[in-house]
Amino acid sequence: MTNRRDFLKLSALAAAATTGMPGFLARAAAQAGGSKTLVVIQLSGGNDGLNTLVPYSNGAYYAARPNIAIPRKDVLTLSPDLGMHPALRPLMGLWDSGRLAWMENVGYPNPNRSHFASMAIWHTADPSQAQSDGWIGRIAEQIGDPFCASNVGAATPQALRASEFSLPSIDAVDRFQLKLPQGLGGAFEQMMGAARSGEAAYLTQATRQMMQNTARVQANAQKYRSGATYPEGRFAEQLRDTARLIAAGVGQRVLYVSLGGFDTHAGQRAEQDELLGTLASGLAAFHADLERQGLAENVVVMGFSEFGRRVAENGSAGTDHGKGSVMFALGRGVRGGIHGSSPDLEDLSDGDIKYRQDFRGVYAEALSGWLGLNAREILNGDFSGPGWLA
Amino acid sequence: MTLTSLSRPLTAEDAAHFLRRTAFGATDPQIRALVGRDARTVARQALAFDQSAAPGNPFDPMQGAAPGPMLQLTRGAWLFEMVYGPHPLREKLALTWSNHFVIGTDKVRNAPALAGYLGLLRQHAATGSFERFTLDVARSPAMLRYLDNDQNRRGRPNENFSRELLELFTTGIGHYSEDDVREGARALTGWTFEGGRGNQKYLEESRFVFLERQHDAGRKTYLGHSGNLRGEDVVRLATSHPQTAAFVSRKLHRAFLADTPDEAAVQGSAETWRRTNGNVRAVLEELLSSEAFYASRARIIRSPVEYVVGALRTLGQPRMEAKALLNLTQTTGRMGQLLLQPDTVKGWDGGREWINDTTLLLRLQVAAALTLGGQAPALSGAPSALALTGQERPATAAATLNLNPRQATYLHLISPEFQLA
Repeated sequence: MTNRRDFLKLSALAAAATTGMPGFLARAAAQAGGSKTLVVIQLSGGNDGLNTLVPYSNGAYYAARPNIAIPRKDVLTLSPDLGMHPALRPLMGLWDSGRLAWMENVGYPNPNRSHFASMAIWHTADPSQAQSDGWIGRIAEQIGDPFCASNVGAATPQALRASEFSLPSIDAVDRFQLKLPQGLGGAFEQMMGAARSGEAAYLTQATRQMMQNTARVQANAQKYRSGATYPEGRFAEQLRDTARLIAAGVGQRVLYVSLGGFDTHAGQRAEQDELLGTLASGLAAFHADLERQGLAENVVVMGFSEFGRRVAENGSAGTDHGKGSVMFALGRGVRGGIHGSSPDLEDLSDGDIKYRQDFRGVYAEALSGWLGLNAREILNGDFSGPGWLA
Repeated sequence: MTLTSLSRPLTAEDAAHFLRRTAFGATDPQIRALVGRDARTVARQALAFDQSAAPGNPFDPMQGAAPGPMLQLTRGAWLFEMVYGPHPLREKLALTWSNHFVIGTDKVRNAPALAGYLGLLRQHAATGSFERFTLDVARSPAMLRYLDNDQNRRGRPNENFSRELLELFTTGIGHYSEDDVREGARALTGWTFEGGRGNQKYLEESRFVFLERQHDAGRKTYLGHSGNLRGEDVVRLATSHPQTAAFVSRKLHRAFLADTPDEAAVQGSAETWRRTNGNVRAVLEELLSSEAFYASRARIIRSPVEYVVGALRTLGQPRMEAKALLNLTQTTGRMGQLLLQPDTVKGWDGGREWINDTTLLLRLQVAAALTLGGQAPALSGAPSALALTGQERPATAAATLNLNPRQATYLHLISPEFQLA
């Protein structure tokens, strides 16, 4: 909690900003404790689970995908029936040391094949689509701190939407700072202080929150020295910033990173192969970095996509929107291995696999088992998970 | 109930409001020119645009030395047109339609295809026929490529366009079945394009073709209608579906009335839509002269592009270096709105989704660069508080009393009042 006190001393401006903050901030110092961090990885567009965790001994898999199946000789063997896509080779070290978990056959009742409806279901953890707040937004409300979860990227996903406040998006840690032009501090405070309602009040509150958040990050982020070589590219940069925020110890319990482009309707092999390579090399570097920082005990990564894809390939060497898919998790806190049973490719629902594990059970274990929160309250119900935490 | 027209002549705040919503913003003389006028006439005149363009556009996508620079030039040329063009409402509508009939430059990397798509959005900006507009977009190489209908062949259907046609372009989710998606895809088989394909041919023209031999001519059932349906039939049935009137009207209300539209007002526009068979011009004319429009103040959070273009138009369209304008298109991208590249085919959600710590910081930086920075454009006197905030006596007035014109303009640009429309 020294971080918060340090921050409060930072400047008169920042201190003034806190006076306008709602009461939940005051509660935050008391409740934000806990040293564990969950990093959520979103694979946007619908990652093809069958070409990620490949059922290489299953003839039905090869029959359904004459052009895009992963040949058996290329599969990275994990079990007598399953293996990883070859582009995931950078994760083999984690697998071998028991720090990589695959959750098979994850989905939800009455699957929706719309990207947006299905993504909203994963974000709100509500297949009935009645909720508009995100499950991570509800975490922030339970903890009572609008800085305990952040998106690392430009646009805040719905998962981080809360009814009382917007959780921050940090595009790049280095640029995450406010520099007001000289001599305008007083006029700025006066302008901000004007009475407002509706969207104008929302913008005023968001600006004050931004001032608070940027001050908090900048006061601590300089401590970090990268402990690993990250690959090129935006996704790896965001993972490095994620490691930096964790190392800074600014109190974030959940960090959120997205990798897009998985909507492989045509020419899937080239597209998905490259994306999975980006995913695996980034995560391997991220984990190595945390190991060097001595933080690996405190961080687990959990990855999902809004849906998997149709079992049979389409006419464009791609796959159309499907239903259930795989999830993954990695880190020292994870129970390595394959959890859950593989889908029966000869008993399909409308061309899609039939899910067996509700994703809310996977969330529930992260919430109660890792973050020490009340999962039932956040998920509006009890869901059993596959036991993916060590 | 159709929408009621505003009966009073426009006040100064009415005029400022109209121009903030329909022209990205305006100068004091432009606002004064509308004061005392009749709302219907003002709306009709704003909608009476032609296809003329801003003179002296420095960006020509055909000069791009590779696909990447070509895309930058395409975005720069569009931003230039929004800032300096003679028809800001046409451009605002084109921006709105680009967020409806979404394509993305992640897949569409061909200059003539992008120019053709943008041309359609301008030509149909206030279209007399939504069906015709949808048909033209559906057959544009940009859309055929983006949603893979160019790969949709008899016996090997690709459902991508067929699904989004219903989910995002016409009825919205909940008014069709998975069977409709499949049957629609069959009807759309054979619609593809020739030319301009591949990274090497990014400057080559492309055109729609219908390949009869790839078309599934069999019987289909789509939205309750059966027959040997073709692509044109699917577009007609989807666009004339009663839910399409409400779904697309709601998007127009989000663009012009409020981030969270009033459902009764949306239904009013939908009624006009249905009565006129999808005459968007009629819907817009009624909407932009309605009491509901003039009563809805400060209920839209300006998008990044609206923020940047709004600032420049309010500052009187100052001359900017081409490089600075190109940088601004990149900056709007970092603020969450890269032209012709929404995050997903659903488009930008807008509203509060535009606002987070990072995007707020960038808004502050852009405001400083346009008013206080070393490269700030020349400023001939500060715009009035009315032009900047839409209010004659805004909450910000006291804070700017002792500031010089550049400082006062800066402070207004970062105020919640300027960021709303």
